[in-house]
Amino acid sequence: MFIPFGSALQVGIDSNSIFLIFWVGFFVVTFFYQARLQSYMALSDISRGLNKLRVMKDKSRKEAIDYLVNVGKAPSDPTQRVDQFLDYVTIMPVDLDPAGLVGKIDHVVTTNNDRVRAEVGALLGQTNAVTVSISENLLEVATSLNVIHKIVRHFYLLGKKTNSYITLLQLQMLMPLIIQEADALLNAVDSFKLGQPIGDGIGPVIVSRYMAGKEKRAVAKDTVMAVTEYKGRKLYVLKADGPMAYVGQPGVAIKKIIEEMGVKPSAIVMIDAALKLEGEKTGEIAEGVGAAIGGIGVEKFQIEEAATKAKVPLYAILVKQSILEAITVMRKEVAEAAEKATQVLNRVIEEKTKEGDEVVVAGVGNSLGVAQ
Amino acid sequence: MMSSVPGPDKKTKLLVYTIEECPVCGQKTKRAFVVGDYVTKDGGKCAKCSNQTKVSLVYAEGTKASS
Repeated sequence: MFIPFGSALQVGIDSNSIFLIFWVGFFVVTFFYQARLQSYMALSDISRGLNKLRVMKDKSRKEAIDYLVNVGKAPSDPTQRVDQFLDYVTIMPVDLDPAGLVGKIDHVVTTNNDRVRAEVGALLGQTNAVTVSISENLLEVATSLNVIHKIVRHFYLLGKKTNSYITLLQLQMLMPLIIQEADALLNAVDSFKLGQPIGDGIGPVIVSRYMAGKEKRAVAKDTVMAVTEYKGRKLYVLKADGPMAYVGQPGVAIKKIIEEMGVKPSAIVMIDAALKLEGEKTGEIAEGVGAAIGGIGVEKFQIEEAATKAKVPLYAILVKQSILEAITVMRKEVAEAAEKATQVLNRVIEEKTKEGDEVVVAGVGNSLGVAQ
Repeated sequence: MMSSVPGPDKKTKLLVYTIEECPVCGQKTKRAFVVGDYVTKDGGKCAKCSNQTKVSLVYAEGTKASS
């Protein structure tokens, strides 16, 4: 029975009773519907994030198409081919029997890379290596954002459909990190379009100084090497071929230098960008041992295998930066670390090897805007 | 073309510069990045000794963006 507020007071229900009824009602609702309410909040949060991701994905796709048309001088409208490209999948080999798995992954990845280059080459109306490599990278960024958007949308719709509070809550908690990563990828587009060196290119920047004025030769796909001398040591310096946006094949190159060229290095020194932890300073330098290289793991495996077989110690020099700084235009702090890292490299060579020794020095990273 | 991109906190704008270094006297010159610049590319003549400079670095520096 409905009792109007005024009448309620008249019939003897005081304001305390009304508040009591309100609170009891509130607790009953939150007790039974708390999960439902939080699901609604999570859905609304994820929906906002998903919209952001959709805008980012569309922007990167448009930027890639514009680049192909305006700079790449695509002879026909590349939109349809680009859309097909974005949905292209790479199926990783089965890992039930792990023996020989790295070779299989290498084969699949190499096939994919060759396909990307061939497709991009067919889309463009010119063969300039820098333009082709930038187009490849722009399409890879657009593909990554497309995949991120699709996966987030999948879990959003799945959580909504099954009313799964836990699925939605996990996705809601991950959204800020996913958006941060996607934002970094989108920001990378500007640097790629303009051909500016990115933070990841600090390794190639450092070793390019050792290669200046020396004869360079191809040592693996998209990878160049020069032989130079430092305080009586013979250095085999390698990096991805720049100023194209290549990462090269340092694993194949090091294996070739040791196993095919008969070089017996006393040390392999690798210089790479490394992701900093929150709280660490951009441009900080860390030294260590082991193969300093990221990626899917194929190159790392090849380097470790070659070094282990030949019993060559692996030394690492890392320049710290965030994911955003690594894939966008190189920051001043990172560039200025090049000088310090060069001094560290010289010290490592002097301390770990002696006159007459041979040393392999690899500058690992994307060589966009960094020639040799 | 002066290149500027948004910085990490949106309030900061990044301006991109090219550093040209003289291999003979070590003189460094800082100028705005132009499309086509890359590390090791030949730069202009050195202001101090007139030798051919080379691009030694390309980097971005943050400035507070005016809203």
